[in-house]
Amino acid sequence: MLCVKPYNMLCKIFVIPFWEMWDLPDIFVQTLWEGLVGGTLYSLIALGFVLVFKASGVFNFAQGIMVVFAALSLVGLHAIGVPAFLALALAAAIMFVLAVTVERVVLRPLVNQPDIILFMATFGLTYFLIGFGELIFGGDPKVMITKELYIPTGTYSIDFAGGRVELQKLDITAMVVASTMVGVLAIFFSKTRIGRALRAVADSHKAALSVGISLNQIWVIVWFAAGLVALVTGVMWGARSEVSFALEIIALKALPVLILGGFTSIPGAIVGGLIIGVGEKVGELYWGPLFGRGIESWLAFMIALIFLLFRPQGLFGEKIIERV
Amino acid sequence: MRAPDETTIKAGQTLLSVQNVSLSFGGVKAIRDVSFDIKKGEIRAIIGPNGAGKTSMLNVINGFYHPQEGEITFKGVKRKKMRPHDAATGGIARTFQNVALFRSMTTLDNIMAGRTLRMNKNFFWQLLRYGPAEREEIEHRRKVEEIIDFLEIQHIRRVPVGRLPYGLQKRVELGRALAMEPELLLLDEPMAGMNLEEKEDMCRYVIDVNNHYGTTIALIEHDMGVVMDLANRVVVLDYGQKIADGTPDEVKSNQAVIDAYLGVAH
Repeated sequence: MLCVKPYNMLCKIFVIPFWEMWDLPDIFVQTLWEGLVGGTLYSLIALGFVLVFKASGVFNFAQGIMVVFAALSLVGLHAIGVPAFLALALAAAIMFVLAVTVERVVLRPLVNQPDIILFMATFGLTYFLIGFGELIFGGDPKVMITKELYIPTGTYSIDFAGGRVELQKLDITAMVVASTMVGVLAIFFSKTRIGRALRAVADSHKAALSVGISLNQIWVIVWFAAGLVALVTGVMWGARSEVSFALEIIALKALPVLILGGFTSIPGAIVGGLIIGVGEKVGELYWGPLFGRGIESWLAFMIALIFLLFRPQGLFGEKIIERV
Repeated sequence: MRAPDETTIKAGQTLLSVQNVSLSFGGVKAIRDVSFDIKKGEIRAIIGPNGAGKTSMLNVINGFYHPQEGEITFKGVKRKKMRPHDAATGGIARTFQNVALFRSMTTLDNIMAGRTLRMNKNFFWQLLRYGPAEREEIEHRRKVEEIIDFLEIQHIRRVPVGRLPYGLQKRVELGRALAMEPELLLLDEPMAGMNLEEKEDMCRYVIDVNNHYGTTIALIEHDMGVVMDLANRVVVLDYGQKIADGTPDEVKSNQAVIDAYLGVAH
């Protein structure tokens, strides 16, 4: 109706979607919310990547499977009769053991190797964990023990602009947990001895050694921190859908988030995650029909690509300015 | 109470000595049967032509390289090899020939990183940065500010060091080493690539560190004028071997040293 013949396409891209947003604000807000929630979970995964990348310069491909592994451990322990919160603590302990093992078996022998070698090693780790996980827990999807962990479920309905917006309590919890975690990690990284040591190791191994920082200890700490982040992500993500090995591919979704936010920035992981989350949902609803729908699966990568052209260091990444 | 290996060494006594150290990389012999000592409170220079094994020697002392033969005695404890962590905890700090700083971190954070070993509040306090961890942070910050004042780098406190000019980077690196409050400070060509003014500043800092804090210093340097002015004793390496050891004057008039530097027809 608004669009006249020669400008039909442009109009469908630049006018109609915005008019629709304006026309039905409740649907827009609902979509926005869903995007934010999805984005929070992307942020959490990206956070795990950033931790390891910051401290060791390794892109840890195994972060996705660590999420699955942590969640499976939790559910698995509960299934054999361990009380929920004890199972949570034990799952954290398992992530610690994993961190120590990774440091001993994977990182230590590969010290001083090029980054690409370490990256490949995390690939290996991924497939090992998939196999190992299936061996122990079996391949079927599991249900997250949401109720036992006292994670609230149900919805709040809010009347909004003549319609109604539904907020899942679970999603609100996820956002609160994620924000707290990010806050703690940000302070930890920028203001404490260990945080400083982590950044120091990322910058120069030999200088870090010369001031008495132990590389092995630092690696255990970051991998453990990444493991804890994976556990939280696993619980939250698992509660929304289910715990299965399919979760592992969300690691790939973290990539555009990292490109957007910058590989070394914790706030970047958060903002990047939110942008991708919202972008996907809003894009799908309003622009999806133009491309025959299903743009959700590639829009994130598209956004990342455009970002790479204009801001290769990401939104918050450290600027690559150096004297040579 | 002191741990047994922390014997207090008085000024003038041997703080560190290397005995018959040999180091090779495959077929290349970097150091051949070198022995010398560093006495508490002195400024000891290690000189020699390029490729003489000076930096390798520092790396052995600091634990980056492990010699195939020989021993290192530090504060009365004899070791086959140092480990970097042992060296750092024992009070050996160092700077590098091609500045090794934490480039993306600020001057302040770089120097604070030098305090790592002196800060010991545990992981969970650290995670919260609350209570003891916060008090500790503030206390160490005071010490770091002192060093920043001493080196006159107040104006670059918040600048990521990767952006600083070379001369200042060298100074920050010295600051980070000083933050460890070391007993033995190893300086690998602290004046390399500096202009005259910067060199004079650096000399002054080295002398001040030695005088005020009583820090023992071992330095590698190419500028002979600097070495002759600063050092109490000089050890000369050539092709991985020790060819002379003594006061600057003795070394200057040593025929082997003159030959090594000027070249001699064989």
